[in-house]
Amino acid sequence: MNAFLRSRWTAWAVLAAAVAFPFLAHAVEFPYLVRVGGVVGLFMILALGLNFTLGYVGLFDLGFIAFYAIGAYTAAIAMRAHLPAPLAIMLAVAVSLAMRALLGVTILRLRGDYLAVVTMGFGEIARLVINNLDSLTNGPKGMQVRPWRPLSMVSADPNIQYYLLILAGVAAGVVASRRIEDSRVGRAWVAIREDEIAARLSGIPVREYKLLAFTLSAAFAGLAGALFALWEQFVTPESFVFWESILVVSIVVLGGMGSIAGVLIGALILAGVPPLMQATLSAEWINYRYLFFGLILVLVTLFRPQGLLPSARRESELGS
Amino acid sequence: MNRRHNAFLLAALSLLAASCGPKEKVVKIAVAVPLTGDMGTEGQGLRRAVEMAVEEANAAKRFPYKLVASPFDDRADPKEAVNVANLIISDPRIIAVVGHYNSGCAIPAAKVYARAPVAMISPAATNPEVTAQQLSPDWIGPKMVFRVVPTDDVQGSYSAEFAFKKLGKRRMSLLHDKTPYGQGLAEQFKKVFISLGGKIVTEDGVAVGDKDFKALLTKIKGGSSRSEGIYFGGLYTEAGLLLKQMRELGMKDPFIFISGDGSKTSGLFDVAGDSADGAYLSIVGVPVEDLPSAKTFIESYKKRWTGSGEELKPFDHFGYEAARIIFVALEQGATDREKMIEELRRTDFTGVLGQTRFDEKGDTLNKIVTMTRAKAKDRSFVSMR
Amino acid sequence: MHFEQHFQQIVNGLTLGAIYSLIALGYTLVYGILAMINFAHSEVLMLGSFVALGLATFAPAVFGATPLGMVAMFAVSMAAAGLVNVAVERFAYRPLRNISRLAPLISAIGVSIVLQNAVFLWISTQALSFPQPGVTGQVSLFGASVSALQLLILGSALGLMGLLHFFVEHTRMGKAMRACADDVTTAGLMGIDADKVIAITFFVGGALGGAAGVLYGMNYGSIKYNLGFLPGTKAFTAAVLGGIGNIRGAVLGGFILGFLEVLASGYIPDGAQWRDVIAFTVLILVLLVRPSGLLGEKIAEKV
Repeated sequence: MNAFLRSRWTAWAVLAAAVAFPFLAHAVEFPYLVRVGGVVGLFMILALGLNFTLGYVGLFDLGFIAFYAIGAYTAAIAMRAHLPAPLAIMLAVAVSLAMRALLGVTILRLRGDYLAVVTMGFGEIARLVINNLDSLTNGPKGMQVRPWRPLSMVSADPNIQYYLLILAGVAAGVVASRRIEDSRVGRAWVAIREDEIAARLSGIPVREYKLLAFTLSAAFAGLAGALFALWEQFVTPESFVFWESILVVSIVVLGGMGSIAGVLIGALILAGVPPLMQATLSAEWINYRYLFFGLILVLVTLFRPQGLLPSARRESELGS
Repeated sequence: MNRRHNAFLLAALSLLAASCGPKEKVVKIAVAVPLTGDMGTEGQGLRRAVEMAVEEANAAKRFPYKLVASPFDDRADPKEAVNVANLIISDPRIIAVVGHYNSGCAIPAAKVYARAPVAMISPAATNPEVTAQQLSPDWIGPKMVFRVVPTDDVQGSYSAEFAFKKLGKRRMSLLHDKTPYGQGLAEQFKKVFISLGGKIVTEDGVAVGDKDFKALLTKIKGGSSRSEGIYFGGLYTEAGLLLKQMRELGMKDPFIFISGDGSKTSGLFDVAGDSADGAYLSIVGVPVEDLPSAKTFIESYKKRWTGSGEELKPFDHFGYEAARIIFVALEQGATDREKMIEELRRTDFTGVLGQTRFDEKGDTLNKIVTMTRAKAKDRSFVSMR
Repeated sequence: MHFEQHFQQIVNGLTLGAIYSLIALGYTLVYGILAMINFAHSEVLMLGSFVALGLATFAPAVFGATPLGMVAMFAVSMAAAGLVNVAVERFAYRPLRNISRLAPLISAIGVSIVLQNAVFLWISTQALSFPQPGVTGQVSLFGASVSALQLLILGSALGLMGLLHFFVEHTRMGKAMRACADDVTTAGLMGIDADKVIAITFFVGGALGGAAGVLYGMNYGSIKYNLGFLPGTKAFTAAVLGGIGNIRGAVLGGFILGFLEVLASGYIPDGAQWRDVIAFTVLILVLLVRPSGLLGEKIAEKV
């Protein structure tokens, strides 16, 4: 299985299918699928990011969505200042990275359970600050974002344009993750996750490497946030509630912590099924989704802690 | 394996059948509101109102085709609202949308509808930006947003004038729930109250879901501010809790409490009980109970929806009216989306809201606000003239 | 006039603090013995309030507004909350105790979500009216008039804390609990059934949380499926502030946090909207500056 997932052929085939997807959706007159695809893609980027923190190093982050919000609002504010959109995106990533680094330096020495609560607290602080700082963010009324349609030669439909942009983000995220995973840094992270004290004793600069993982994850969140803001053309604090952080955690846990293919599948399932249900089944079923997320977290942890598509290492570590 | 195979086939076939649709011509009106979650009860009310209007039209054989109300659940989440909007525009049988309920949802969803374009009539989103965004140079598409409910500025201003002129208050405390609706109302109240010569002595925001206002109220009650009353922009749960805790702290007449239409609902009495007595609540339009045309609506509604939890909700008559305005446009031959938008612009309709016409932004020209006073004894709201 | 205002604010702070303290005790008892945060605690407290509402709604004859009825309602709700906590430990935490640090945490979050949504989906999404003791109006105390309801709640909370103190300090089971909190392995070697003690700890902690839930409902007159989240998180802050694992610390932390919030809402202009931010910021600051809390001891980790 692992060989199949890692093969170059598979990657190219999946990419080609993904690029063709929106046009096929239009061909069968189901353009809604493009919107769903874009939403799933955003969560894939988020999950790939959280994978660095939770998956590779094992740091329990319950406030990841705060950096999604920071990315989105930075992009929105940059657009309001009439900066060109690509610059707005880069600023979003930069600001996310900077704030995440600051947070990391401050809290990373805390132990697992404390870290969880502190990150949760920070997530709420971020949302409340955004909600209260009216002069900068327009508070609860939300901010309009100037439209940016860079791929108009490919399609007039903004959903298709953003789907492709998001797909590029996912691809970049996968490539970056794979590279780092196979590097010395990646292996050091595994060592830290498995036994922090032993890792430190064998010469790994634990604090620095943890900070690196923690910080890098924010780049993904910032990028996703910026794309989200540009696509919806409107940001409001209500889009960044605590539940969204839980969703991303669930995706990573379900898919398999530390597994790239796993988190992608996790995002496909947890972020893709509810909007699809919206189109086919009764609306009430979607309301059960949070209940399902909770059950998934408990059951997966109890019975299949390595996740759906675990990396080989995790399988040997946690599988029975 | 065989049984599973058959079940799968059956499921696939029924999905196929469902998507094929009936042969008879069907025209759909989408109802995009929160159907589940915190705001689900208000959204369900709107759905019931529109469904009732559609049933009446079909029963009277008003049109040569079948009208259907299609509900979509946006869960009061802006992202969901955009998902729903995308789903709606991809169904060519949907000719107009009654929705959304929250301004935070209406604003981004409208941009999606503009791409189709399909008309959106909101029965409850009161933030001015919902229609104002159409005037921005960044707006892509025609103007297709309409609103049968006056915006927050109208209510806030009216309340300020009422407090100053009618009740003679000069020093008020401002409170809001940090939502676009509540904060919008409060800001407007402040602007007008100050321009009249009044003073806002304290200003605070609370959060939806907050329970404990004792410390805040104690501060407002305290001597130095000499506050004569509270204006609260927000919904009935927080309003009710505020009233309750105010009475527990001994804050009553002549200290007043004014709030907006989000609090003028029977739910207020559920939360506050007798404490709600004497509270002033503004509503947009003339109270449903006072209009003769509305009386028929109320009676039909009560007869049609008898389940528990299916009582009339504060915005239902707006949904009903929005549907009937769409019917008028349909009668004028607006059987496709572009024509519907054009016809809606020409609306001049008199119904449960009085007379409705739209300005160039799509806002209703009917800016009547009525002040009511809560009477806990019979859980009613008495209009003040 | 001024004195009355300050006195009322003090009562506000005490009442809020008392509720936080009860919840914080639940966190601290569990942490003391297992070194884990019971994320589901906030939902246990919420369930306590819903059980009480159920009792009052479906058996008003027994659990009605009479003093005896109220006490019965309290007792049953507390027991129910305690049992839920025990069940959660047994099925969602115990199997994971030795796997990793992360697993019980994830499971705990999952349980929390499931419980909250169960109430949301199957009981009500709306705020439900909660029965209040027939105590209304104001009492005159030290020349100032204060809400009688607040005093009742404050008194009940303090009474429960007194009971806990007695239980922990002066009973055999309490002694066993303290022993396990110190060092669970050695306690086991001394013949203490650790699993049983853990279960009892969860029961007591859950019961206190349930009591807090009932008091919460009484104080505000309404309950909702998500009532646990905010008070739970803040009470956890309080427990950490006081020194997690330390019972007196939890009480101290609870009252300090209650007063901090009253300070923000009651004395800072436009401060009410920052109330929650203050709670979370205090949490972060304490964990950074003095992670053992005000009354906790520093424990070195042996390598």
